[in-house]
Formats: sequence, C-alpha cells, structure tokens
Amino acid sequence: MNTGWLIGSAVIAVIVSPLIGGLLRGIDRKLTAHMQGRIGPPIIQPFYDVIKLFGKKPMIAGGAQLAFAYAYLALTITAVVFFALRQDLLVVLFILFFGSLCLPIGALSVKSPYSQFGGHRELLQFLAYEPILLLAAIPIALKADGFPIADIFSYGQPLLPDLWITFIALLIALAIIMRKSPFDISGSEHAHQELVRGVVTEYSGPYLALIEIGHWYEMVLLLSILGLLWVTGSLWWLSIIIALGSWFVMLIVDNINARLTWSWMLKFAWGVGIVLVALNILFINLGWM
Amino acid sequence: MIGTLVGLGILFPIITGLVCLPIKNHKARGGIVYLTAAVLIIVSILVLRQGSVPIEYSPSSSWDSVVLVLNYVILAVFLIVAIRDIARRGVSRHNILTIALTLAAGIPLAVFEFSQAPHAPLEVTPALYIDHLSIIMCLIISIIGSLVCVYAIRYMKDHEEHRVHLGELEGTTQPRFFFFMLMFLGAMNGLVFANNLIWLAFFWEMTTLACWGLIRHDETPIAKTNAFRALWMCLIGSVGFSLAIILLWNGSSDSISLMTVISNGASAGPVLLLPFALLCLAGFTKAAQLPFQSWLLGAMVAPTPVSALLHSSTMVKAGVYLVLRIAPGFQGTHLSTLIAIYGGAVFLATALLAISQSEGKKVLAYSTIGNLGLIMLCAGINTPLAIAVGVMLLIFHAISKGLLFLCAGAIEHHIWSRNIEDMEGIARSLPLLTGITIAGMLSMLVAPFGVLIAKWGAMEAASSIGVWSTLVLVLLMLGSGATTVFWAKWIGRFLCHSPVPGRSKEEPFIPLYHGILLMLITFAVVLSILIAPLYNNIVAPALAEAGYCVTCAFTTGVWFLKSPMGIFAAWPVFIIIALALLVPVFTARAKPEASRSSYMCGENVEMGIDEFVAVADERTKLKTGGFYIENILGEGNLNRFVVPVGIVLLVVLFVVAAI
Repeated sequence: MNTGWLIGSAVIAVIVSPLIGGLLRGIDRKLTAHMQGRIGPPIIQPFYDVIKLFGKKPMIAGGAQLAFAYAYLALTITAVVFFALRQDLLVVLFILFFGSLCLPIGALSVKSPYSQFGGHRELLQFLAYEPILLLAAIPIALKADGFPIADIFSYGQPLLPDLWITFIALLIALAIIMRKSPFDISGSEHAHQELVRGVVTEYSGPYLALIEIGHWYEMVLLLSILGLLWVTGSLWWLSIIIALGSWFVMLIVDNINARLTWSWMLKFAWGVGIVLVALNILFINLGWM
Repeated sequence: MIGTLVGLGILFPIITGLVCLPIKNHKARGGIVYLTAAVLIIVSILVLRQGSVPIEYSPSSSWDSVVLVLNYVILAVFLIVAIRDIARRGVSRHNILTIALTLAAGIPLAVFEFSQAPHAPLEVTPALYIDHLSIIMCLIISIIGSLVCVYAIRYMKDHEEHRVHLGELEGTTQPRFFFFMLMFLGAMNGLVFANNLIWLAFFWEMTTLACWGLIRHDETPIAKTNAFRALWMCLIGSVGFSLAIILLWNGSSDSISLMTVISNGASAGPVLLLPFALLCLAGFTKAAQLPFQSWLLGAMVAPTPVSALLHSSTMVKAGVYLVLRIAPGFQGTHLSTLIAIYGGAVFLATALLAISQSEGKKVLAYSTIGNLGLIMLCAGINTPLAIAVGVMLLIFHAISKGLLFLCAGAIEHHIWSRNIEDMEGIARSLPLLTGITIAGMLSMLVAPFGVLIAKWGAMEAASSIGVWSTLVLVLLMLGSGATTVFWAKWIGRFLCHSPVPGRSKEEPFIPLYHGILLMLITFAVVLSILIAPLYNNIVAPALAEAGYCVTCAFTTGVWFLKSPMGIFAAWPVFIIIALALLVPVFTARAKPEASRSSYMCGENVEMGIDEFVAVADERTKLKTGGFYIENILGEGNLNRFVVPVGIVLLVVLFVVAAI
C-alpha cells in the first residue's frame, strides 16, 4: 500500500466519518421514533442541531471544561486518522480511550451535582467497555498474525467465522459506548431520567456541538472496527453489512430494554463480554478455531 | 577508574550520610546533600559511558570480611530494636515476628558460612558485575534518588516546622533522616552492582534497615508499628535469600555467583527452580506484592520523600530488578508462567483496591504495587519482548511515580492534607503544581507516554505465550481499565471548581519543589519521545547481556518502535496528539463573561457562589464528592479475597518449583 494512498484515505476518513455518523444518528432517531409510534425528525436533523449549536453563545461552567471538549474531538479524530493509516489496532484503541476519557474528566471538572454524577457513571461505563475492546484486539491479532490493521487487510480471509464469539462481545461494548439501553446509565436521550443529561449536562452551545461531532467519529470508528472482521476476500462488502447490521441491532436492543443499574452493567460486561473474548482466545490458542 | 566509580557510587553516600548525623545546621546539611547528589549523578553518567560493559570488578578481599561482619551487625540491630520495642511497648505480633524471622534468616546463613562453606568469607570473582541492567538501575537511583533527596531538604524543613507548630516535635530529627536517605542510596547502588549473592543479601538488608528507619521517622505509635510490619515482611524475603544461597551452594550449582547461577539455571533447568523461587519470594516481599502489600500501604505514614525514594522509584524496584535479573535462569518453565499469572493478579487486585482509596498517597502506593506486578508479569512471560518491556516500564514508572509522590508531598504542604477530597478544585489556587501533577498522571495513563508504550508492549508480548496467555491477558486488560478509573477520578477532583470572577492568588514558585517536579516531568516527556534511541542505547544491550535475542524484542527506526506483532509509530503519535491538544489550549479561550454557574434546577443563589436556594429560601452550600465504591472495592471487602488468592498463588508457585 503506498503512502500517498494511505494519506488520502486518512483525509477522506476525516471528512466522511462525521457525515456518516451524523446520518446514522438521524436514521437512529427516525427509526426509534417509528418503533415508538412517533413520526420523528427529518434524518438530517443532527446536522441542523449541530449548526444551530455552533450559532449559540458559548457558556462554560468550569475552568478546564473547554479544553476537554476540544481534546475529546481532536483525539477521536486522531484515532480515526491512525485507523485509516492502518496502524496498530491497540494503538488506535489507546488513542481513542484517551479521547473518550476527556468526556468524563471534562464533566468532573465542573462543580455541578448532575455533571459529577454523569462523569462518575461514564467512568463506570468506561470500566465496562475498555477491557472488552482491548481484549478483543487479541484474537483478531492472533488470527491475522499481527496487530497492525494493515496485517488484517492482507490476511486474505474473513475473520468472522473464527471470531464470532468475539463479535458478540464487541456488540456489548458497542452498546455501552453508544449509551444505548440497558447501558445508558451515564446519560441518555430519553426524557425519563433523573440525570438531566448526565455526562454532558454542563456542556452547551458550540462545546456541545464539538462533543456531538466527536461522538459521530467515535461511533463510525467502532463500527469500522467491527467491519474489520470481514474486510478481505471477494465478499469484502460484507464488512459494511456487518457494521450497519450491528448498528441496527443496537437500535432494537435500545428500544426493547429499560436502563439497568451500573453494577448490573459491570457484571454483564465483565461476566459475559470478557468471558466470551477469553473463550475465543483460548479456543484459538488450543487450535480449535 | 571503575574501582573509583564503584567506590564513589556505593561508599560516598554512606560516608556523607554518616557525616550528616552530628550536623544540626540546616544549611550545612543541605550542602552535603547537594554535594552527594552532584557526585552520584556524575558517577552514574560516567558508569554509563564506560566502554566495555559488562564490567567485572573485585575489590580487595578484605571487603568480603567487612560485608560478612556487617551483615550480622545489621541482623543484630534488627534483634535489638525488636527487643527494645517489646520492653517499651509490650509484645506484639510485629516485634515477635521480627525476632523470629531475623533468627530464621541469620542462623541458617551463619551455620552455612562458618561450618559448611570451605572458608569464610566465601569469595566470588567478580564480586561486582555491572551490566546495562545494573547501569539502568544505577541511573534511576543516582539521578531520581538524588533529586528526591534534594527535594527533601525543603520538604523536611516545612515538615518539621509544621510538626513543631503542632507541638509534636522539639528540636530536629533531620540528621537521622538524611543519614538513612543517603546511606540508602549507597546500599541501592551496591545492591544492583553485586554479583556475590552474600553481598547482594547484605545490601538487601541494608535497604531493609533504611526502610525501617525512615518509616518510623516521625516516631508516632502508628509509624513505629508500620515500620515493624515493613521490617518483618521484608525479612521473609531475607529468609528466602539465605535458603536460596544455601541451596545454590549445596545443589548442582556449587556457586554463589549470581551470573554463574543464572547461566547454570538456563542450562541445568528444573534442578535450580526452588532456589530461584526463593529469590523471587525475596523480590515479591521487597516489591510488596500480594499478600505482602500491607507493609507498603503502612509505609505511607513516612514523610513523602521517603515514599518517593524507597516506596516507588528505587527500593521496591530492587524486587523487580532481582526477578528480571534471574528471569533468564527460569525461562520456559512453569515457574515463569506462574509468575506471569501472579503479576497479573497483583495488577488487577491493586487497581481495584486503588479505586476505593480516598487518601492520595495510598492510591499512589496501590498503583506502585500494581505496576511492579506488571513488571513481574513481564518477567514471567519471559520472551525478549516482555523483558524489554519490563525494563522500559521500570524506567518510566520510576520517573512518573517518583514525580507523583513528590507532587503529593508538595500539595500536602500547601493544603496540609493527604485526602483527595480536600484537593477539590486546587487547580485554581495551585495551577502550576496541579498542572504538573495532572501531566504526571497522564504520563502513567495515556498514549504516547512511556508507561503506556510499555503496556502496549506487555499486551503484545502476553498474547504470544500459548494457552495460559488467555488468563494473563484477561487480568492485564481488566487491571488496565480499573487503573484508568482511579486516575481519571482523581484528575477530576483537582479540576472541580466553579468559575470565579477575577484572578486567583499567585502560587509561589518554590525552586526545590516546582523546579524538581518540572525536571522530572521533562524527563518523562523527553524519554517518551526518545523511546527508540532509549531502547537502542540502554535497553537492548541489557537484553543482549542477559542472553535474549535483541531483534526478537523491538526493531526501531527514527520514528517507530516495531514489535514482532505490531508497531508503535511513536513520533507521529506524539506529534499528532501534541497538535490535537496544544492547538486548542493556545487558541481557544473562553471569555470571562462566558462563565456561568452550574445547573441546579434554576435555584442558584448568585454567579460565583456555590450555593443554591433550598426549602424555605434557605441558602444551602453545594457540595460534590468523588466516588470510591467502598462497599464493594474497599479493603475490608476485597482483602478477604485478595490476600488468600495471593497466598494460594505463592504456594502453587513453590509447589511447582519444588517438584
């Protein structure tokens, strides 16, 4: 793969990811509305929202809040760039985690009960999904014989048949990161909650817009990681189906579940998610997969 | 030349430490500390620049007799202080165990040295063996250790003034403090240079003595008790040391030269596993691994420079140094695999326990034990990549954690508390100090800093050891997640304050605090950027000298570090992350008029005042706090599982080594 092509794909990824992410959010809202018997907003509503937010007067409620909103977006974009440059999967995840961590730290840097509540809960969400994602990189690398995403592309065979157990665990992680029920404990969009808006309570106007865009990048990056499971071979387009299918599963799960407690989430993520990936690694090491 | 350097490195600080003892003048004592620091730093750099490493050096054989005698002198000191403690404070578990374990360590060794061995003292050629692993340790001890001692000049002055103010102290006890601190530096240099196991054991006891003396420095009842706990737990390791020496001499090895023992271990295989396990036990006790973690937690009562020097950057590192050093001797055995699992269990357990701690220094202590566990894990994986990562973690952890302890000490001297809750919002009153502290925490936590690069390497190394890698990886990843939580919530406490109109009062710049902290954070950043040359120049030679395949660990380019499984594009990661973070920091500025009070359902009293209007229009103070999940992750609850697990793992480890 030549360098020019790679840099080009990184530029395209940076431009296109938020478009896809925003669109997915719009479709998400529309489909969710339909599932709940409402009509819902137009599917490009997220873009309207962000444009409107940028036009609002900036307000901050804590010293470091601003820096962390920017850092969240900037680091998430950095992770997307390194993904597009086909770098080491673990490194991409580490950069993504640094970005994700800016969100709770930003929330905790405001002296606000709601924001503190949301920030702490976001850390618990982090504790639930971070180990799953890191661990899931291992069976991928064991199969593809290397952690760089370039190795996964050159592996030549789809990974999913050997890694379907890991795939299920990744779906759990995805649900936690997208803050979908039953894992929407640090902030959800539905009006039923006591947290106001959890981790982003104290963000408004342009800074909320930055976080929204960061979240689009984050979501597209995670779906792309799921897509890696079938990225080579003649049926490479299945990677897109897998990514979008996973996303659709999230919507269904979101709409048929209520929010549960943080302790249940941790037990589920560690007890089911981690155990699934661990079994997958074990099976690969034993030569069964 | 090398004789002079070694002599200066080991003896000079011991002598200046003794010189400190009668000096009551603060300035004169400070001068001696500066001098010792300067000499040690120069010596360590000159040792690094010696051409023909590894260096073998044997001082005149009379030194063997000196070591022989002094070793028993130290053990006698342990007995005397324990007996005096019984006389003054009555019998307790701690002083009885101290006596029992001192005897258990001393008597077999004496029987061996004076009746079994062909002659006493047992000489080994070379007595000192200095390779790159020793030099790395020597640089950490001499540079970071010296900086900590210099910092302590100011710290102890403030500390004593505060205690005098509280009426806890009259006069000064600093001469004794600096005696132990400086003497300790010499002992550590001796420990990492020693090749004769009896010498190694002697320097090991010397660090235990310094540790005891420094923990009890403030002479409060709790300090005395905790000092004895540290003493007897480290003495378990000394018992292991004595037995290992005897077994090695009587077993197939017939030698107490560390180098010979390791190379015999690599060729002779399982016959030497039990002595290796005993040496590892010594390492585990020193590094406060499970179930011995309580001594390091108790040691936090000591003045903070002690925690920075002994309990994070150097003495506890002696434990992992020893295990990394002898790792080639048990490569490919079940013992090795078990050490990896054990290290992983320590890493996870301490990361979870750290979440429940509200005292800052205890969080740092748990994180230290966890990171040492991570290095143990690397030593247990025992592939070239894992050992390289272990050594890198040793370096970066020493810098970052030394820094964080010093930060904690400086913060303590501003707010006179160690509680994280009392640190709420101090980013406003102490911007520079908290800025450095947060940078130090990030250097433990996120890409692209050295500790994280090492974690990345550990994950890749752990994935390549077959069936058992599954368990090791699960422990590693879960621990990694928990680590993030306790750092992030602490950072959050620092930053938590409402926007208040106007500027905060100026933070005074104290050279011995801020200057040294800035130096250490610069080390952490610069060495992370220069990770490829760092690897090539000192880590790779250390690997080669230990007999590992260097190209199987990392291959480097100007801008990347490549493991057999992956690649860390260090420079691009650094540059892009720096741009991503610094550009907004310097361009984005919120106008003061953009400040708003936080959301309190519209019941805020007034902008800039943390109060809200509650029932009957009463103004109520807004309070926030961190979470600690103490009912689940608290010591009372978790230790019920953690301690037995530690004991079981150690028992299994010894059973495997013995059969």
